[in-house]
Amino acid sequence: MNTNSSNPAKVAPSKLLFFVVVFIAAALLILFIPLPQTASTPTDRTIRIEASRFQFVPGEIHVNPGDKVTVELISQDVVHGLSLDNYDFNLRAEPGQTVTGTFIANQSGVFRFRCSFACGNLHPFMIGKLTVGSNHLLLRGIVLAGLAAVGGFVSMRFGALRLSQGVQ
Amino acid sequence: MTRFDLTRFPKVNAVLRNRWPQFLLRAITLAGFTFTILAGLFGSAVGSHNFAIIFVWIAWWSALKLFFIPFGGRSWCSICPIPMAGEWLQRGGILEPGKKKVGLGKRWPRFLRGNWLQAFGFLMIGLFSAVTLTSAKITAIVLLAIILLSLLLSLIFERRAFCNYLCPIGGFTGLYAQAGPVEVRVKEAEVCAAHSEKLCYDACPWGQYPLALKSSANCGLCMECLRVCPKDNIAVNLRPWGSDLQADTRHNLSEAFLGLVMLASALVDSAIFSGPWGNLKMAAYNIGSRDWFLFAGIFLVAALILLPGFYALCVSWASKLGEKRRTLQKALAHYSQALVPLGLMAWIAFTISFAFVKFAYVLPVIADPLGWGWNLIGLQSKAGVGQSSAFSLILQVIVLAAGLFWTTRVTRRISESNRQSLPLILFSSAFTLGMLWLLIG
Amino acid sequence: MNMKKEILARVLVIGLLLIAIAVPVGGYLISSANMDHVVELHARMPENGGWSVGNITVQVGQPITLHMTSDDVVHGFAIGKSDQPTIEIMPGEFVDTTLTFDKTGTYTFYCTHWCGPNHWRMRGTIEVTGAGPASQLDSEPLYLQLGIDIDAPHLAKVVPTIQPSAEHGAKLAYLLPDYATSRQTYLTTSPADLWLKLRSEPSLSKLTDSDLWDVVRWLWERQTTPESLSSGLKIFIDFAAAAHGMTGKGDGVMVKGRPTMTPENMGHTLVRPPDFTDPHTLLGASPALLEGKIIRGGMGTGMPSWGAIFTQQQIDAIVGYLYTIAWNSVGVSSATPTQDMSHP
Repeated sequence: MNTNSSNPAKVAPSKLLFFVVVFIAAALLILFIPLPQTASTPTDRTIRIEASRFQFVPGEIHVNPGDKVTVELISQDVVHGLSLDNYDFNLRAEPGQTVTGTFIANQSGVFRFRCSFACGNLHPFMIGKLTVGSNHLLLRGIVLAGLAAVGGFVSMRFGALRLSQGVQ
Repeated sequence: MTRFDLTRFPKVNAVLRNRWPQFLLRAITLAGFTFTILAGLFGSAVGSHNFAIIFVWIAWWSALKLFFIPFGGRSWCSICPIPMAGEWLQRGGILEPGKKKVGLGKRWPRFLRGNWLQAFGFLMIGLFSAVTLTSAKITAIVLLAIILLSLLLSLIFERRAFCNYLCPIGGFTGLYAQAGPVEVRVKEAEVCAAHSEKLCYDACPWGQYPLALKSSANCGLCMECLRVCPKDNIAVNLRPWGSDLQADTRHNLSEAFLGLVMLASALVDSAIFSGPWGNLKMAAYNIGSRDWFLFAGIFLVAALILLPGFYALCVSWASKLGEKRRTLQKALAHYSQALVPLGLMAWIAFTISFAFVKFAYVLPVIADPLGWGWNLIGLQSKAGVGQSSAFSLILQVIVLAAGLFWTTRVTRRISESNRQSLPLILFSSAFTLGMLWLLIG
Repeated sequence: MNMKKEILARVLVIGLLLIAIAVPVGGYLISSANMDHVVELHARMPENGGWSVGNITVQVGQPITLHMTSDDVVHGFAIGKSDQPTIEIMPGEFVDTTLTFDKTGTYTFYCTHWCGPNHWRMRGTIEVTGAGPASQLDSEPLYLQLGIDIDAPHLAKVVPTIQPSAEHGAKLAYLLPDYATSRQTYLTTSPADLWLKLRSEPSLSKLTDSDLWDVVRWLWERQTTPESLSSGLKIFIDFAAAAHGMTGKGDGVMVKGRPTMTPENMGHTLVRPPDFTDPHTLLGASPALLEGKIIRGGMGTGMPSWGAIFTQQQIDAIVGYLYTIAWNSVGVSSATPTQDMSHP
């Protein structure tokens, strides 16, 4: 039974359809509309990463889009690897020997890099994070969450959407 | 009516009433469970090459979070092997109840009822999770301990005592089953009222009385009531998601506590397993070290004080914005319904973040479950380290947003006005932003 | 209750459980049965137990298969003083190698991928018994034959101030007394000591100090070939760099946090290796001394003993490479200023 003290009038089906379409369109827009990257000149960077059981130091790296990134990977204890999500970039480090690899950071966003050679129990969670440019997905996520909260509210005004209410 | 009774189809009804399909599934899961324990104890110590690790923490966990719970509520419990041996002894038969029943059949102590033990159990798991999830031997020992504990409890207490009050999985499965799209309810209450025998209650391993069943939290979808009801008055309904979360449904404080523990665990586990913070992972891993005690302290403070404190503030604020007078305890319990869709979707998003990466290990571990160099299915290639695809990241965003959408609706539904629902929506939004930042940031 | 159905159900449960148990048990029994001349060898970090089999006994001429896996990190397998190829052992994966020994003796097998600070301890032995020719695995090293105290300090009393040129030194070779060019002299004398000896030769008094260093460098480098130098470099990188550092500075990842070696703590505690990029370190050591250190290891300092691992050729290569580190460090800023004892 409907126990809400304020009971908005049932709204017509066409309005419901309109709401759903607008909501989904807004969500798609928020998720997929191309966003410009902050202007920055691509530079060459060299980053030294120390790998040990079970962390990368530094664990968080930030570069600009288009940067030519050279990674110097040094293992401190056992054979480790570094595999970067989304990029075809994979290094293997023998302890004590610096290994270098270079890639162009042409994709923006946040990408985790992971150890690619089993190095013990916590190996699957030996993870670091590379941020290229701005993390647009996080921004999109926050705005989408806002839309979701607002949409949740608005959707309650439609009787037809109160599917799960009022049944004993 | 928003309920779709599956039993109205004779074929479906026949399958549900027939003991064989469920029994076969349970026999298979029991064998699988046994195999998993053996693999964990005697198989390779390398997690990626051990059936126990890959199947428990990647395959089964994903199936539970992405399929069993969202689409079947507490459906895993209907085929779970853990209580089986005990149940068979209790009812004196494997396929159906028999005469020689074994067990003391004591009632579960009153003060231990509710979700408190399960919530604490889940917290304990969280404290030791970095080791449990990554050690095949520890995983096997935990599984073995659980099945033996469940057996022991079945010999002392009546019904599925372990499942109801101790199983950490059961805790959140039940909690989130309230949002699930399946339920078992009576068809017509008048029929039950006129029927003096309570065969259904006697048969229920969960100690539920179908006529009084208002929430799917404690129903394990075992269908025993369906099978014994002489009036064919029990329905298995498909229903809209979130059906047990209403303005007038009754909830208790232990549910609120469990809901909050699940939220705190989602945040901390996301930080540990999907984050780049090596120090945190090491602290969580080196159990007994000074850093671990620091980690445990922070985890417990967050889970027992900070998050519940924030929640309680929002709840008391919301209470002031309405007319209905509730004690704080009742208000905390009432609004905890909002934590259900929020937590369910957060756990789905977190599961996607760590499990999708490792799906490629499932087939190789079927080919060589013990890591002994076998190739049972003639697999040609080995699994790579895996990665989070752009698709998986966007999916996590969508799932978290959907969780906020859903919990906003539930909050509004259980509140008296738009204004009264705002504090809890603030709470849920803050939590969602936290999860977004941890998984996507 | 229908007893027939109940029995069927019980049979099914027991049957499925038996399958679940039979798979691992049966698999184990099957694989143990085919174990003639097969040894299952698990590689683990020394902290986790090291090699699961410490000693393998085999008949001379009898092929033996090693069925190897790693239980934790990337390891490798190789046999010391042998030209058997090294084999990488990946965690969770199995790799087989079949060995046949045609000479008796005790061989040492060891791990070839650094697996923590105790990696060098990860060794085992293969005893090859039976009737057959004995291998020349143990021969008395030169430092023992000569009675050299390889633990005595050996800082060079003199070092060059500018990088010596072996090419220039070669041009002055005709001036040298015979003993200067003998291999025995090379093996038993340090570069600094030989320089001092040559400095005191009246026939060479017209040569400048740096001329003499050019000569000494040439005398050292003529004992090497480009192949042996590159082999020495590779061995250094694979075996030593983790502790000695890629440049030989003594700053490898495995010795982080250790104190620098001093006369007080040497032999009593784990210390950093000495800095090879300081010419004083190596130019005061003879090849026999360096060879001795490599073969025997450093008592209590953490330097492993490599006597069972490297062949003479490999040790010569390493020693030859080490001196190039010293020569190439001269004049580089990290070297400390030296006393110049040049005659006017």
